[in-house]
This record gives sequence, structure tokens and C-alpha cells, in this order.
Amino acid sequence: MTMRAVFGVRETIGIVFSSASARIGLAILLVLVLIALLADLIAPYNPGERVSQALMPPSEKHILGTDDLGRDIFSQLIHSTRLSLLIGFISALAATLIGTVIGLLAGYYGGKLDEALMRITDLWLAFPNLLFTILLVVLFAPQVGNRIVPIVVAIALGSWPTAARLIRSAVISLKQSQYIESARALGASNARIIFKHILPNTSSLIIIEVITLMGNAMLTEASLSFLGLGDPRAMSWGMMLHYALARNAIYLGMWWWFIPPGLMISLAVLAVILIGVGLEEYFNPRLRRRL
Amino acid sequence: MSLASFLAKKIVSSILTILAILTLVFFLVRLTGDPFAELENDPRITPETLQALRRLYGMDKSVVEQYISYVHNMLIGEMGYSVKFSKPVFDAIMERLPYTLALLVPSITLSNYLAYKIGVEMGYRRGSRLDIITLALSNFLRATPYFWLAIIFLYVFSVQLGLFPLYGAISPGLSFPSFEWFVDYLWHYAIPFLVLVVRGTFIFVLYVRNSVIDILGEDYVAVARAKGLPEKAVKSSYVARNAMLPMITVMGLRYAFIIDGAILTETVFSYPGTGRLVFEAIINRDFWLLQGVMVILSISVVLANLIVDLLYALLDPRVRSQR
Repeated sequence: MTMRAVFGVRETIGIVFSSASARIGLAILLVLVLIALLADLIAPYNPGERVSQALMPPSEKHILGTDDLGRDIFSQLIHSTRLSLLIGFISALAATLIGTVIGLLAGYYGGKLDEALMRITDLWLAFPNLLFTILLVVLFAPQVGNRIVPIVVAIALGSWPTAARLIRSAVISLKQSQYIESARALGASNARIIFKHILPNTSSLIIIEVITLMGNAMLTEASLSFLGLGDPRAMSWGMMLHYALARNAIYLGMWWWFIPPGLMISLAVLAVILIGVGLEEYFNPRLRRRL
Repeated sequence: MSLASFLAKKIVSSILTILAILTLVFFLVRLTGDPFAELENDPRITPETLQALRRLYGMDKSVVEQYISYVHNMLIGEMGYSVKFSKPVFDAIMERLPYTLALLVPSITLSNYLAYKIGVEMGYRRGSRLDIITLALSNFLRATPYFWLAIIFLYVFSVQLGLFPLYGAISPGLSFPSFEWFVDYLWHYAIPFLVLVVRGTFIFVLYVRNSVIDILGEDYVAVARAKGLPEKAVKSSYVARNAMLPMITVMGLRYAFIIDGAILTETVFSYPGTGRLVFEAIINRDFWLLQGVMVILSISVVLANLIVDLLYALLDPRVRSQR
């Protein structure tokens, strides 16, 4: 843990590229980001528009068939990439931000504040994550209107504790290092020490945490949407699965409706996990495979 | 510290945790707003009835008084009345809880056992075909949404092969204590159980594997080998035993999250368990039901953690002296 804290941003990126699994993960992620950006060009139809008869099997015109409203499933799959990645990334970023602030305060100031903050963190960690997120979304997301922002906030509020713990332990070990002591002896203010000396040195951890949390956030978003709590005006992979189950696609054997969205979720989360595995192998050399 | 005083300490802290959770649930559920708000616009209900209802449920008292009677009522199992299910909350929960417990406890136990056995082999034979294939599968399953895996299993075994039922926990019309009932129950049980075991095993196996690899680098393993101990003895009494500890920790940490998996699995299989119950309580804003389910769930998680702590203390004497 002490060692982990001293890598810079550029070094972390270098580390990512040095690992084979991380390179594969990055490549998958890049392709998905491209699909999200170019969704309008790739998708043959408007995903929300009735373009054919309902419940058609795959054909040349509709490679994944159509849903119960005659909408093109392949186009939905392509457009869903946007929301799934976006919600995953932004909620992971927000969760890491909350966690970093709490971890910094707890680790740097220590004492009673640390104890109180860590009590809250532990209590939060012990609470079932999805249940908590469902509760927040049901309570605070409007029935009609924008549900995406409440979903992002709920996922972020449910997943910051791991970031807080990670940053806290890094800050505690950094605080004891000599250069911080020197800075303090020179009369540097707390704010200066935190922003100039401690925060930059935790940047590699922050990157790792955003990556790890992004995988979880994408899975949580998929679960929420699958349970029917997503924003009905937008499309995500989880929501496609919700409609597939609700319209009996599984009992009807319409695999082209419910297999592709799940594969896409798995692929996106796998990409993030692979990047994480690459970083972990670097920081824990014992795990590096000797083949 | 003796095992008895360790035990006493753990029990006291468990009771405190339960009280803390009771408090948290009290405030969290009250955030859902006034449970009678919807009745205000109902023309059939007079303001007098509404007031009587509020008085009946103690909503007219101060928050402090409400809190005290709430804690008291929870502890004696008096959990109020579920509007959605039209029956006492405690009965609604007890109807569903056995289904979830009977599904989760055996599947978690089996998947932990399998993960332990496979994980030790993987760590020992790092880079072997077993290791690489299991690692790939494990990373893939970690990335796979729980409910999607369940959907695939349902599709393959129940829809395509037609071997198992499509939904539910029991076929209608069977009376409870009979042989047919039990066979029918197991028939419905098989696929959800399989999903949970597969998923659980591949999630846990990574923790075991990685801790085995860590342990193999420890000095005491080198010493054991240098002493000339046969590799079999090193494996069983040095590596495998120590690999058990981190796995138990992870088990304890993950226990609370089982309900998350139950919500999703029970949705896919339309299984009448607690996961579905808590979800229905939330989306129907069934105030007392939600409160009751959360309390029962929290208490069971705290109890499970207590058991994990005890297991830990039995297995690792250092823990007893530390705390």
C-alpha cells in the first residue's frame, strides 16, 4: 500500500500499456466508445421508431429482428452503448470524487474526524449495495421526466466507500513521509500540503478506483434498468433485457433479443476488469504469471 | 483473551450493530414520506378516518416517541400490517423467507467449498491449463450480470431442453407436507440453485487462488520445504489451511450482498422469496413491510457475520489475542 501511492498519472498510463490484458481491455473499451460516438452512423434505424412488423426473427433487413413494437433490436443495441458507458463512467467518477474527499479528510486530519468518517464508511459498506441504490432511485427519481441523473447520483452514493478506504490508507502512509514533514516544517498550510503534495501522489490510485468502480457501476445500472427502474425514454442494455423478459422473449425462445445485450454488458465490464487486472499484476508482482 | 470473552465481546458489538441498523432503517424508511398521503385524495376516506388511522399507527406522536415504540415493536416481532399483501408484515416475511434461505444457504456453502478446492489447485498449478481456463471463466463471469446468467440458464435448460419448469417455486395445487410437493419443489429448485453455485464458485475461486499464490511466497512455506516436509503435507497443512482465512473474510463481507443477488435471481425465475418481497415493498412504497424486511435482513446479516467471526477465531488463534 505504501508503494502504490507514489505513481504518477503518466506512469500509470505506461503501466497500463505494458500489460497484455490491460491492452486488450483498452482495445475493447476503445471500440465500445467508438460505437457509442458513431451510433447514429452504425445503427441502420432509429431505435425508437416502428420500422417493421413486431417480433420478427433475424433477417437481412433486421439482423437481430424486431421487438414487440416493431423496433429494430440491432439499432437499440448500438444506441444502448451510449447510456451504459456514460452512466458507468460518470457514476464511477462521482463515487471516486466523494470517496477521495472523505478519504483525504479522514486520513489527513485523523483523530475523531477519522473515526467518525470511517464508522460511516464501514456502515455504508455493510449495507447491500443494489438494495440501497434501488431505494434511492424509487424514492428520488421522478416517475416521468429525467431519471438518468437520479440514477447516476444513486449509484455514486452507493459505491464511494471503497474509494474512501483506499485513499485514506494511502494518505496516512504519505502523511508520514519525510517530504510532507519538510513541507510542514517550512510552514506550508494544510491546503497546500493536501493539494500540492498529497493529492497528486494519489492520482494513480484514483485512476485505478475509477476503473474498478466503472465496472461495478455498469453492472448496477444494468440491474436497475433490468428491474424496470431505468429511464423509459432512453435505451440501455439492461432496459433491453427488462423488455425482453417482460415480453416473454425467453419463453418464446427469441435468443436474438436477450443474448446480445447481456454479451455487450459482459464485454464492457470485462474490458474494465482486464485493465484492472493489468494494473493489479503490476502492483502485486507475485501475481504476475510465470508461463 | 479466552474464546469466551472474545465471544462475549462479539455478541455485544453485534447487538449494538443491530440497534444502529434499526435506527438507520427507521430514518431511511421515514424518508419515503407519509404512508397515508395517498389516502388524502381518496373521496371514500373522511379526514376523521385518516386521523384515526394515523393515531392507530402512532403517526400523530413525536418522532422520539415513534422511535421508542418502533424499537420496542421490532424487538417483539410486532411489525405492522402490509398494505400490499393485506396481512401482518411478520407473516408476509415468514412466508417468503424459507424459500430464500433454502436456496441461498446450501448454494453458498457448496460454492465456497468448490471454490476452495479448485482455488488451491489453481494457485498450486499456476499457468496450467486448469488455472488459465478457470481464470478466464472467472473473469468473464465476474463481468456477466447476475440476471443475464440466470436468463441463459433458464433459456437453455427450461425452454430449449424442457427439463425444468419455467418459473415459480412450486406447481399450484400441491399440498405442503407430501412427497409430490417435495419432488416438485426440487424440480423448481434445480436451475436457480445451479446458477447460484456456478456464479458463487467462480467469484470466490479468484480470492482463494490469489491468496494461495501469496502464501506460496511466504517464508514459512520455504522453511517447511527446507525441513524436507513432503509437498503433500506443505500443501494441506501450510498452504490450504492459511488460504481458508481470507476466504472466510470475503464470505463475511459478501454476505450482506446476497440479498442483491436474490432480488435479481428471484425476478428472473419469478421465485417467491425475500428478494422479490423487498423489491415489491420498495416499488409499492409499502412502509411497514419495507421496514420489517430490512430489519429481518439486517439481523440475519449481523448473525451471519457473527458466525464468520467465530469461525475465524476458531481457525486462527491470533485473532483471539489481537482483539
